[in-house]
Amino acid sequence: MTMTIPPTTLAEDPTFNWWLRAPAATEFGKDTDSMYMWLWWFCVAWFVLLMGLMCWWVVKYRRRPGKIAPASTSHNTPLEIAWTIIPTLFLVYIFFRGFAGYLDTMVAPAGAIDMDLIGKKWSWELKYPKGAVASETTVIGQQQIPVWYIPAGKAVRLKMVSNDVIHAFWVPDFRVKQDVMPNRYTSVWFKAVAPSGDKRMPEVAPGSPEAASKVKVALSGAPYQDHWVFCAEYCGDMHSEMAAIIRVIPEAAWNNWLEAAGEGSLPPVQLGELMWKTQCASCHTVSGDKNTGPTWKDLYGSEVALSNGSTVLACDDFIRESIVNPQATIVKGFEGVVMPSFAQLSNERINGIIAYMRSISAKGGDDSPCNKTEKK
Amino acid sequence: MSGHDHHHGSYLTSKGALFTNIVDWATTVDHKKIGVMYLFAILFMFFLGGIAAIAVRLELVHPVREQVVLTVSGPLVAPIMNPSALTTPDGKTVQLEPGKHLVRWTEKDGNEVRQGEPMTIAAGKKVDVLDMKGKPLSVDGKEVTGTFTADTTTAPPTGGVKTSTTVKGQLLPKVFGKTDASVAEGNNIYNRFFTMHGAIMVFMVIVPSIPASLGNIFLPIMLGAKDVAFPRLNLLSWYIYVLGSIFAVVSLLATGVDTGWTFYTPYSSTTDPHHWRVVFMVLAAFILGFSSILTGLNFIVTVHKLRAPGMGWFDMPLFVWAVYSSGVIQVLATPVIGITLLLLVFERVFDIGIFDPAKGGDPVLYQHFFWFYSHPVVYVMILPGMGIISDVLAVHSQKKIFGYRAIAFSSLGIAGVSFIVWGHHMFSSMSEVASTVFSALTFLVAIPTAIKVFNWISTLYKGSIALTTPMVYVLIFLFLFSIGGLTGLPLGTLSTDLHLHDSYFVVAHFHYVMMGGTIMALMAGLHHWWPKMFGKMYNEKWATIAALIVFIGFNVTFFTQFFLGTRGMPRRYASYPDEFALLHQVSTVGSLLLLVGFVIHALVFAQSLMAGRKAPKNPWGGLTLEWLADSPPSEHNFDHEPIVTHGPYDYDTTVPPHWDPKDYPIPAENLARAKAEAH
Repeated sequence: MTMTIPPTTLAEDPTFNWWLRAPAATEFGKDTDSMYMWLWWFCVAWFVLLMGLMCWWVVKYRRRPGKIAPASTSHNTPLEIAWTIIPTLFLVYIFFRGFAGYLDTMVAPAGAIDMDLIGKKWSWELKYPKGAVASETTVIGQQQIPVWYIPAGKAVRLKMVSNDVIHAFWVPDFRVKQDVMPNRYTSVWFKAVAPSGDKRMPEVAPGSPEAASKVKVALSGAPYQDHWVFCAEYCGDMHSEMAAIIRVIPEAAWNNWLEAAGEGSLPPVQLGELMWKTQCASCHTVSGDKNTGPTWKDLYGSEVALSNGSTVLACDDFIRESIVNPQATIVKGFEGVVMPSFAQLSNERINGIIAYMRSISAKGGDDSPCNKTEKK
Repeated sequence: MSGHDHHHGSYLTSKGALFTNIVDWATTVDHKKIGVMYLFAILFMFFLGGIAAIAVRLELVHPVREQVVLTVSGPLVAPIMNPSALTTPDGKTVQLEPGKHLVRWTEKDGNEVRQGEPMTIAAGKKVDVLDMKGKPLSVDGKEVTGTFTADTTTAPPTGGVKTSTTVKGQLLPKVFGKTDASVAEGNNIYNRFFTMHGAIMVFMVIVPSIPASLGNIFLPIMLGAKDVAFPRLNLLSWYIYVLGSIFAVVSLLATGVDTGWTFYTPYSSTTDPHHWRVVFMVLAAFILGFSSILTGLNFIVTVHKLRAPGMGWFDMPLFVWAVYSSGVIQVLATPVIGITLLLLVFERVFDIGIFDPAKGGDPVLYQHFFWFYSHPVVYVMILPGMGIISDVLAVHSQKKIFGYRAIAFSSLGIAGVSFIVWGHHMFSSMSEVASTVFSALTFLVAIPTAIKVFNWISTLYKGSIALTTPMVYVLIFLFLFSIGGLTGLPLGTLSTDLHLHDSYFVVAHFHYVMMGGTIMALMAGLHHWWPKMFGKMYNEKWATIAALIVFIGFNVTFFTQFFLGTRGMPRRYASYPDEFALLHQVSTVGSLLLLVGFVIHALVFAQSLMAGRKAPKNPWGGLTLEWLADSPPSEHNFDHEPIVTHGPYDYDTTVPPHWDPKDYPIPAENLARAKAEAH
């Protein structure tokens, strides 16, 4: 359904650089660009037609003293029908092309790397796989701006949630945007293209003081390209300072870097298991047996009957809510059990618990029902 | 349909001494006086909102508020990341705090390196460190030179280093006498200003602008009526408007709110806790809604009940059709925003969780409620403007409007479809299915809008076009509104909207529609009916010059913002990366041009009121009923109820009222043709 104009055509269009600072740095972004440039020339054509007629007639039929306008028709049904139908056909075409491009941006491919993103007033906090945490920053204006390393050519999916008000995650170069909500998870995915340009990370000479840092060694000499991340939903005083930089590096360098940066942190599943052992095991089993609370075995991704007669699919939102605000919904058969709130748990730990529950559920795999209902 | 010459004095005739006059105006139920009071209140609010806009634009001239300016030249050998201090020649050390000071590096060959980016400078290569504008500045008015020390992790540069530093204060805090405000405080003031601009312009200017002022004055006259159906209700709606405005102004005097005019939750329900100014501003919008409802209701009944004998539905001027359609939307949609805003007040005041998830609410629910009203209201804002364009276009082209019924029905079509497209404001916060449905529905609105534009431009064909100020504003409207409409396409298209949503592209788009559309139509209508309202002509030459300045200023201000948006500039940003600086500066120059244009307009109007030439009854040759009345009209508009014998735009067969048939020689063939068509 998509009629993709090859990037070469875009680059040859001299007006492309008026509109966009650089070609999109994602695959679906290139489709967005070609859609945009198509719309631009479509609008130019209509505008020139309309304004051309207007200017021509204003000059041609300017008022002449002593003469009134000749009688002319003031209604023409075929013309009215024509200029209703023709724009409608164009609009239908535009809608479907935009819809096709939109689907591509919404559905993450299988095997995407999952990362967690937390938005809060007024910063972003990214959690890489293996528990690696973005710790590098750069200073712009008044604010420490985090720098995030993202592999080129690999699909990355961010699971996002806000700690306070609504934020929005926007990477202009990726042509992607998604609101970050305080009461539910949203997600966004992208596959960055290889860095263009000739910027390279500093070379670390063996034996230099930098060589002690595994992270710096992993990145040594890697080509990179930076992309802005902005908060696009107004969120208060430092809204305009709520930025980050995505630094795209080759996949191989990224793998090395993750290995170095992730040392010492527990992967989410193991963190979740630790949480269960220390905080949850007194009430919840992972064996399938009933205890004070429902068992966690095969819970994730299953239909859970609630005390109010309805059912809910036990996915991330439900589990998170059950941890933070346990009395909001009661599982059928556990009426009268008052579970305390664990709202004080960090997002990292809650996400760890979710990951752990997922790992011990038959319905937690790639074909989990949650993957189908969860907002991508 | 000829006028009678009994003179009862105009509605503007003084009733006595100053106090008597004040009481008379304050208690009047005359739709014209109420309309005139609305008009001046709206123009005053437009001035206030405009001042806020200029403040916002001036603040955006510079990318970042506070910066240190360094000029470093000489060979540097070490990678420099974050310089920590500067030493001046007199031994003073200026600490460079990360986050408080900004440094930008520029290599000699023009490559820019963002501060903090990894950068290795080979020995012997020259590097300049410049400010955001590339200019050396100074501390306390004098340039300082000194040595440069880098932080401990990087070696200090060697070679001659020349530095000059300054801390650029913030514009807005300076205006308020706070020169040492932090960036957060400065941003907060900026946020209050853009909220003030948006809230005033939407709730107090554009929504009531045309219906409450020109609509109030001309809708009854165009129908041949003495007044609106419920004159006292009309006065009540004016006082409700005043009350709502007082709430808003009181909130602004208490330094205003920083929620944005959309009051998105949970930000709006949690910001500024323990202060009443947010509640006051929300209540202001709530109260102003009632004024809107009453005006709309009044107009609907007036159109249904008070048309002059002989005036069928399709003999009504298109301005009346448009105001009627927008009245329907006002009555149906405004209660929803009233309820929503009241819920927001309840959440803030009584801590009831409705929208704030921390209290068990849902913030997206607010967005649905808000846009369910605020999208239809976009058409409340633009439909009356479209009505003005239809009327003014026909009169100044002396040409029957092309496709009368198509224009009238498209107004109703827009009013209908406007209720089911609200979701396109929320593409980034809704489910995929909802987004898709709303995208499809949104394209539906484009069709009746396009039909209107085609009909307007076709009306010019074989017309007799006079380039008077109102007509110049009609052409400006067609130009700007076409851009506004066409740029709606990439916003309605799902894939491109994902990029453009909440960017400056949206800001530019809605200014092209709301200001380029509604305000330009208001200017067209104001110049068109000014002689009728006040009985005075204005200086045509200066008014046209001002219109052209406004036109140029508008495009310079807002067309640049399309580029800002596509290039990645988010809206509602107090500071921004320096790559956007040039476009912002161009935009600000444009906004100052706009200011100049509107000031000239104000002077032209003031001169007209004080010393304008007396206006004839029908200066433009209009055929609708208001041109039958005196200029300004008498208290009851007409001496006798007029009887309608021709259509509102039958220029090929009708001599305009009060015109000499010699000045409007109708060819015999026109009459013969009309006769033939009638049979």
